[in-house]
Amino acid sequence: MQYVISERPGAVLLSLAGEIDLSNSPQARKLILAQLDSGHALAVDLSAVSYIDSSGIASLVEGYQKARSENLRFALVAVSDATMKVLQLARLDQVFPLVASMDEFNA
Amino acid sequence: MNTDREPVIRVRDLVTHYGERQILKGVSLDVYSGEIMVIMGGSGSGKSTFLRFLLGLHVPTSGSIELLGQDITQLDSQEMYALRKKMGVSFQGGALFNSMTVGENVQLPLREHTDLDDATIEIMSRLKLELVNLGGFDKLMPAQLSGGMVKRAALARAIAMDPRLLFFDEPSAGLDPVVSAELDELILKLRDALNMTIVVVTHELDSAFKIADRITVLDQGDILLVGTVEEVRNSDNSRVQDLLNRRPRDETIDPDAYMARLTNA
Amino acid sequence: MRGVYGLERLGRATVRAVEEIGYLGALLIESLFWLIVGPFRRQPVRIAAVFQQMTQIGVNAVPIALVLAFGVGVMLAIQGIHTMKTFGAESKVVIGIALSVTREFSSLIVGILVAGRSGSAMAARIGTMVVNQEIDALRVIGINPIRYLVAPSLLALSIVLPALTVLADFAALFGGAVYTSMDVGISLAAYAQDTVEVLKVNDVMQGVNKAFVFAILIALIGAGNGFVATGGAEGVGRVTTRSVVMSISAIVMADMMFTFFLTR
Repeated sequence: MQYVISERPGAVLLSLAGEIDLSNSPQARKLILAQLDSGHALAVDLSAVSYIDSSGIASLVEGYQKARSENLRFALVAVSDATMKVLQLARLDQVFPLVASMDEFNA
Repeated sequence: MNTDREPVIRVRDLVTHYGERQILKGVSLDVYSGEIMVIMGGSGSGKSTFLRFLLGLHVPTSGSIELLGQDITQLDSQEMYALRKKMGVSFQGGALFNSMTVGENVQLPLREHTDLDDATIEIMSRLKLELVNLGGFDKLMPAQLSGGMVKRAALARAIAMDPRLLFFDEPSAGLDPVVSAELDELILKLRDALNMTIVVVTHELDSAFKIADRITVLDQGDILLVGTVEEVRNSDNSRVQDLLNRRPRDETIDPDAYMARLTNA
Repeated sequence: MRGVYGLERLGRATVRAVEEIGYLGALLIESLFWLIVGPFRRQPVRIAAVFQQMTQIGVNAVPIALVLAFGVGVMLAIQGIHTMKTFGAESKVVIGIALSVTREFSSLIVGILVAGRSGSAMAARIGTMVVNQEIDALRVIGINPIRYLVAPSLLALSIVLPALTVLADFAALFGGAVYTSMDVGISLAAYAQDTVEVLKVNDVMQGVNKAFVFAILIALIGAGNGFVATGGAEGVGRVTTRSVVMSISAIVMADMMFTFFLTR
């Protein structure tokens, strides 16, 4: 898994790429929770994620729950097909805010 | 179908005994990545035995069983331990741990094999229960569940680690047709979304034909046929047709052997 | 012909017994392996399970153990006084009670109690898990059933049984004191002083060491019988009964050998 954190106006964009599995989902979780801890609205870009397992999904769920409880904006950006399949299996595509781009996130 | 023609399960000349009696008589089989392979046969065909050996629960008399490229008849306990993280098994009766809640059952493989945060493990286990339509049941004890719910909870536990190989023993045994159809749908969805390779042992024809990419027909410890649903349907092998048409087997009798059995001589 | 047949049966029975002892020995070695090596392989024996077992086997058995031990103490006092009367030495009964309680009866009564209470429960629990394929489920998850089920019970039993024995010592001595003080008219304080004078650490330790051995016997026989259960609820019942009979027999035999070698 690779990641890039970039500051955007009013939000932080966390771009994840590659495979998210048991070996690195704790890292993804920390990244997500750390941004929310410092009070940033968070967009997680999943366009370059080729595989995500349920521990990765669980990290996203936990992040979204935290964002909700602290009234921070949170969304998944440009979800890749592989990730979308897994989200759909768990019907989480109907739960997460999904956006196509950062423009849509800020709109 | 997304097979890359690389077998993830490769069995060669598997011979097994129960005491003196030979159960499997040289079984060879390949299962490819992302495939749903159904192993069918009547009772006494050796299909349940075959599954137990695939799971590494017994040591065969001879032959090899490769799972994900590793021959499990040669592995030491540490290597087998590592391999088990990539395998999930749903047993016929569910085999849920009765002293734990449903949620704890699903969490057990995660707690055993990972250092994930508690919060992550709990969300993961609830996710799996959602997948099998048991959302909100995690605090119940297995004894409080119906037969179909036990089977689904067992499936949730089997996929807790997102295994690459999923083994399913008699998914529809003892279930009403609606519930068993739901389970079949679930098996198909799991393969499509998570790209698991799935081996299902069953004697239910409807279920087998619905989910199988290929079917292996076992009879008296031998493979009668491996083929697609169509190939099995159109097979002219009389034993296969007996099985499909639920005909009782009509064997020719060896009078000497029969007398020997009757008189114990 | 008949003799040969009998001899063959004896031979088979011997082979079976040796096999069974070998199996229980293997269980012991594997349990010890997991207790010692498990933590280094990231497959530790669960401490929580050990404490849970200690509570179930030990703490919950304290009341009944105290009552039984008290009863044994009274019984020894009655018999002792009755016997000593012949020699007109009723007051010497204190020595007899003190030594036989600590060296013999506390560990024996506690051992039999725990074999009936917890050895049987272990056989039933493991037997049920075998029949329900829960043991298979553990194995395919990668959890060694001996590490998960046997090692915690073995450790818990071998801590708890000696502790229960010491408690039972007190209860039995108290029982003996109460009866003796009423019958012979020795004050409780004098009785206590006499007891402390005759008892050596060695006497108490003999009972404690026996309890430790009984604990291992109970754990192995309970678990060993559980693992070989077959054939549904009836099979579980069969191995449960068998485990109680076997472990009580083993305790009495072991006690006899112990006493023979330590008392001679």
